Amino acid sequence: MNPYVLMILLSSLGLGTTLTFASSHWLLAWMGLEINTLAITPLMAQHHHPRAVEATTKYFLTQATAAAMILFASTTNAWMTGEWSITDLSDPLANTMFMTALALKIGLAPMHFWMPEVLQGLDLLTGLILSTWQKLAPFALIIQTAQNIDPLLLTLLGVTSTLVGGWGGLNQTQLRKILAYSSIAHMGWMIIVIQYAPQLTLLALGTYIIMTSAAFLTLKMSLTTKVSTLATTWSKSPILTATTALVLLSLGGLPPLTGFMPKWLILQELTKQDLPIIATTMALAALISLYFYLRLCYAMTLTISPNTTNSTTPWRTQTTQASMPLALFTMATLGLLPMTPAILTLTT
Amino acid sequence: MAVSKTTLKTLLGVHGVIHRQTLLLPSTLRCSGILSTRSIHERDYRRPGQPPDTRWPWQKIRFDFSKGVEGIKKHIGLLKDEFVQRWTGPEGRPLIEHILEQTRVQWEFRGPESLNQWVVSSDQEIGGRSEAYIQLGKNNTTCLLYGTLCSTPPRDGETRYSGYCTLRSKQPLASFDRKKQYDWSSFNTLHMRIRGDGRPWMVNVSAETFFSHQRDDIYSYFLYTRGGPYWQDVKIPFSKFFLSSRGRIQDDQHVLWLDKVKSIGFTLGDKADGPFQLEIDFIGLCNDLAHTEEFAYELYKRNPEV
Repeated sequence: MNPYVLMILLSSLGLGTTLTFASSHWLLAWMGLEINTLAITPLMAQHHHPRAVEATTKYFLTQATAAAMILFASTTNAWMTGEWSITDLSDPLANTMFMTALALKIGLAPMHFWMPEVLQGLDLLTGLILSTWQKLAPFALIIQTAQNIDPLLLTLLGVTSTLVGGWGGLNQTQLRKILAYSSIAHMGWMIIVIQYAPQLTLLALGTYIIMTSAAFLTLKMSLTTKVSTLATTWSKSPILTATTALVLLSLGGLPPLTGFMPKWLILQELTKQDLPIIATTMALAALISLYFYLRLCYAMTLTISPNTTNSTTPWRTQTTQASMPLALFTMATLGLLPMTPAILTLTT
Repeated sequence: MAVSKTTLKTLLGVHGVIHRQTLLLPSTLRCSGILSTRSIHERDYRRPGQPPDTRWPWQKIRFDFSKGVEGIKKHIGLLKDEFVQRWTGPEGRPLIEHILEQTRVQWEFRGPESLNQWVVSSDQEIGGRSEAYIQLGKNNTTCLLYGTLCSTPPRDGETRYSGYCTLRSKQPLASFDRKKQYDWSSFNTLHMRIRGDGRPWMVNVSAETFFSHQRDDIYSYFLYTRGGPYWQDVKIPFSKFFLSSRGRIQDDQHVLWLDKVKSIGFTLGDKADGPFQLEIDFIGLCNDLAHTEEFAYELYKRNPEV
């Protein structure tokens, strides 16, 4: 892509999110969300492939619908209560509409149906931006308004998302769809605890961004998009295969990796709030997701084809991709669990 | 009384006109047996030179109770299968099979019901005189596509060229006639065993699209057959397929994505009048590890840097 155009699009992406972060008026927040949607649209469609254009169209339609619903919710609230401030969302209809719109924006179940198809049509880097950066602005709005939203709606969204994310990812063979369902499940974990401890939501979001970035960058480094190609990454780079397996287990939430931290703290918070059934359901739903992460690890590390491999093993030449971000995110994904006390002190 | 008689007559007259119009529609031509295998999605074709179908939607209904009961049983069975096969793995097979798979036979001809998955059409739809038929070959193990090409264009004032025939597979359907696609992403080569008569055919693969502008997008490649009694193994890598839409090769080429393939087809249109035959033993897929090319053609770049 033309470097000037790329610069404009990336800076618009940054601008949109920052605008939403910095806003206290609903119209400015909505504007930031729309700028994000419009800026990522050319990035998604740059490859002129019909599937990329299809993914762009589906993404644009869902995000525009969600943004329109947000505008409608804020206008309804302003009409009922006269307040445009984000933290003063008090009308119940506006609250519910707003939460539904934001659920559509970040891909919470049952508004998740666009996510796997959209991620499947994109290349890995754009998919990474979609899964990580595009979630920040909506979460900023959710965290600010979470106290006013119906707790039942939040709980339902959270539990449904983790269950759907688990079951939906079970029979997938395309890695981008697996990561889409993983995103849906993680969003569920973030939403379930927002009414009790918003700082845990931020922590979960932060660790999710780190782990997903590590996963996407690994797939980009080894140029794999299918499970069958993943099975031959051990010959391209054995160390990368080892770290990828650990990154996937971290996404699954296994100690002693970083991914365990948000799940542990969220379950602890739910138990403190006297909600053992919800905590058990979330833990069991996480097991379903863990099954498909483990299956990817199995395909990658514990299988060698009996005779010839199923995909071409390329020459192990020096890679031209930048490896620093991958190294950083991988280390963060694997090694941050001992820092839990420090993180808790800093955030609470 | 007189008013009601005239209205009755007008109504009858209208009905007669409509009835007459139905006789001219392609579905009631002498090749109706072949064309009625078309699905609902494929029936919107208007034959050039014919007036458009102006019947009301309720006049197009063909209602039958026994078919309804069979249909319900079939579709509920398919729906139950869909739920049950998820326990085994993607597409009803364990994941280990999907990882290890290197060849797959997608279409085989082992009985008369295998011919129901295919649609034959020729330029009789536009009023031409070519004929094309399919039947099972010897020992019910192959499919024989045969017929006669005639490139005389129909005299309807619109058509200039004629003389083609096509064999196309139907899109797989899930329960309640929902469209399904084939997932060929583990493979990179099309492998067919055919026996032709020396004519050049085109192999067309079509993928699932989103917009109606892309409805006629087809990825094609050539299939040169040798005559003679010996079978021919043809392996065409998917990277060689080029994009065309309604027969016109597109400038903006891109590679065929194999995770949502709709159907495959064979077309003959080599302007040579006379009889033709193509016998197909199987159509399969394989993974050629030596073939590392991603796409054989240059990607059209707008605004190239100079």
